Amino acid sequence: MATPTTAPPRDIPAAFEYQESSDGIECYRLTENDLRVLLLPQDGAPVVTSMVTYHVGSRNEHTGHTGATHMLEHLMFKGTERYHKRTGTSIFETLQRVGAKVNASTWLDRTNYYEMLPTEHLPLALDIEADRMRGALIDPADVEDERTVILNERDRNQNDPVSRLFDEVWAAAFTAHPYHHPTIGWKSDIESMTPGDLREYYDTFYWPNNATLSLVGEFDRGAVLHNVAEHFGVLDTAPNKIPQVTTEEPEQTGLRRVTVRQEGQLGAVLMGFKSPPALEADSDALDVLARILASGKGSRLYRRCTDQGLTSDVFGINFRLRDPGLFSVFAYLAPEQDHQTVEDALWETIEDVQENGVSQEELDRARSQLRAQIAFDRDGPMRVASQLNEALAAGDWKLYTQYLDRLNDITIEDVQRVAQLYLNDEACTIGRYVPTS
Amino acid sequence: MAPSPSSASNTAATPDLASRIQDRPVGPGRLLTLRTSVDEVVSFRGSFVANPDPAAGDGLRQKLTVSLLDKGTEQRDRFALARVLEDCGATLNLSSDGLFVEMSGQALIDDLPRVMDVAAEMLRTPAFDPEEFAKARAQVAADIQRRMEKTAAQAAAVLSQRLFSEGHPNHSPAPQTLLERLQGLTVEDVRQYHDRHFGATEWRLAMVGDLEHDAVASVVGEAFGGWVSHEAPAVYEMEAAPEEVGRSVVPMPEKSNVDVRLGHALPLRRDHDDYPALYVGNYILGGNFAARLMSTVRDEQGLTYSIRSSLSGVTTQYAGSWQTSVTLSHDTLDEGIAATRDVIRAFVSEGATADELEDKKTTITGSYTVGLATTKRLAQSILTNAERGFDVSYLDRFPEEIEALTLEEVNAAVQRYFDPEALQEALAGTRPETIEA
Repeated sequence: MATPTTAPPRDIPAAFEYQESSDGIECYRLTENDLRVLLLPQDGAPVVTSMVTYHVGSRNEHTGHTGATHMLEHLMFKGTERYHKRTGTSIFETLQRVGAKVNASTWLDRTNYYEMLPTEHLPLALDIEADRMRGALIDPADVEDERTVILNERDRNQNDPVSRLFDEVWAAAFTAHPYHHPTIGWKSDIESMTPGDLREYYDTFYWPNNATLSLVGEFDRGAVLHNVAEHFGVLDTAPNKIPQVTTEEPEQTGLRRVTVRQEGQLGAVLMGFKSPPALEADSDALDVLARILASGKGSRLYRRCTDQGLTSDVFGINFRLRDPGLFSVFAYLAPEQDHQTVEDALWETIEDVQENGVSQEELDRARSQLRAQIAFDRDGPMRVASQLNEALAAGDWKLYTQYLDRLNDITIEDVQRVAQLYLNDEACTIGRYVPTS
Repeated sequence: MAPSPSSASNTAATPDLASRIQDRPVGPGRLLTLRTSVDEVVSFRGSFVANPDPAAGDGLRQKLTVSLLDKGTEQRDRFALARVLEDCGATLNLSSDGLFVEMSGQALIDDLPRVMDVAAEMLRTPAFDPEEFAKARAQVAADIQRRMEKTAAQAAAVLSQRLFSEGHPNHSPAPQTLLERLQGLTVEDVRQYHDRHFGATEWRLAMVGDLEHDAVASVVGEAFGGWVSHEAPAVYEMEAAPEEVGRSVVPMPEKSNVDVRLGHALPLRRDHDDYPALYVGNYILGGNFAARLMSTVRDEQGLTYSIRSSLSGVTTQYAGSWQTSVTLSHDTLDEGIAATRDVIRAFVSEGATADELEDKKTTITGSYTVGLATTKRLAQSILTNAERGFDVSYLDRFPEEIEALTLEEVNAAVQRYFDPEALQEALAGTRPETIEA
């Protein structure tokens, strides 16, 4: 349960302004440069997860520079003056040496860098993250090396027909908004990206006032805040305003279709419906609808499709994004089944919800599942950080702490209403994967 | 200068688990419980030894049998079973893992009794309805077909065929062989397999989280009381049977990269005195992002996105292998394999350095601590330790054992067990003209 804002903790270093708390998470602002800091102290193993979320993703990329977010993320591991392979202090080696789980990820609305490590080594992680926030070298030779690596990574994604199907459906569903292009970027853009392009991107978005540092795990609040101030407090605020995305996707007025033909065994269908931004209440109702449709053997689509031998697996996914995204229904065809039969069954199930609604029992079950999921997501600092990251990307970290309360407000009428409002063929893009063997 | 991570303690922190784990016989098996500070959540993992006969195709029989466990019991149909779990958001997975059948999951502690009841019912009294059998068989076929599309799975399977005979648990039959065998299986085969191979033989259950030891013992005793052992003997091959050193190729159309496995069999078992030294030796070569293979073939040469080496399938009962896996693009295939072999040869002939050993000791012990940060991982570690026949104290001793290793011990183990000239090659992907079997 979310708790109301409580009194500020005592003994906060002067470098910070306490802002608010929600469900045990404390939010601070480093006054020197507007870095936001979220703290969630947890007892348990002597381990902490440190994560820097930059509020930049492939949504911020322009035509010709797609893939910049992801390419820059790779370059961020290639070093700074202080942490570099040539001195035996590469970022990976230095962090992994102390047993840290280290990685980064990029997605439509955000980029995050994280380390889970023994608490005694947290100062090292903070030093590295602060150092590379403004000190990345983006060396032209490194860019060339990573270009090969990234093209290989892209090839691997393209090998997977389902990954290609998702890319094609999003590309067809979004014609103006940058969700149109995959986060890894178009091949020709990856091939032509220059070190200067990446430097410009870095200098536009990688600043403390466009980032949030989250710390989750076993630590001493005062000591950690002192450490954060020591490492991040020396950084300047961005000299220019951080550019915002202003493009809105025009309303879709008819069903769109794409087909992916590729060598493979089992076909698949992906239906993507235009959905509201993550922070809108309707997005909560769509989360519940996704559960009712396709979570578990009691779900509508499992019973109608998988249990009837039409599909081998079926998923409902509500992509909660900062801007309008896609509510998706995805099905792997069972052997010997055809796409049309499966599509018809998916539509029939959706129409049944639209016409007859869902039962209170289904809603209660979906909520119980989500309640358990929230408890499970508090099991270990990495899972918490990962959930927080998505809430940050959506535009409000409290989406994480207030989620259960938001779910409690949903009624069966809401679920039926969002099914009617969003799951219609005019706002739908359907992709078929047709194996060519 | 970057602050040296040498502030890291070189004395491995003892996780202090053994004194907190209660290990007791409960019903027909052994229960290991650990209370942690997580709220409401409990994770569990259990297994029994089924003793499949790999040469007789029991691997597939076991997989099919397990896939039917949640499809209905003598007491409840599949939907009633699923509903129990879905109503409380709990997870329960049953899986076939070599000689073992495993169950694992997560639940809110108040829901544990009903989750254990369902688990016991599924394991002990499945219904094996013929209609469900037909569907499960189709699902297993779909899984196999999906795996056929994956270059990594295909490469791993053909390497296993070069190293182990059909009677060895590490042998993976060709997907086509599995599909043919699958078509010949009947519901009666599965029923018989369950009768002969399912029971409380070496039944162990690890449970971790917000729990009271005695209360959990009572829940588990009630659910599994009266379950008897089966009498199937162990009939698998324990030693490897490698082919003459060579290369296998699985041509796969329209894949834009090639998955490559290099490997040979290892004679030692998990409980051999040389195992920790060899484990650390391999870790230095290819255990993580900062290991030699990754830092050379990926970071310096930019030839791949991912390269790893591992000790694979090494157990206390039978022989495993040493494997290096690398994904390469067509145009860098030969260069990539040659570069990989060069790094391996240099490592085996020159050995690890003292710095590398100290680095990896810190890494392994640190990541061991990090790996124990969730109830799920703790339950898995406790069960795996018990399956190996190790005392619970080994969970605390492991970091000390790693810390105690000398450079001479590690390099002696590397030279004794790793032979670059004995490496077999397995390739899967689109066959460019340069690949010749």
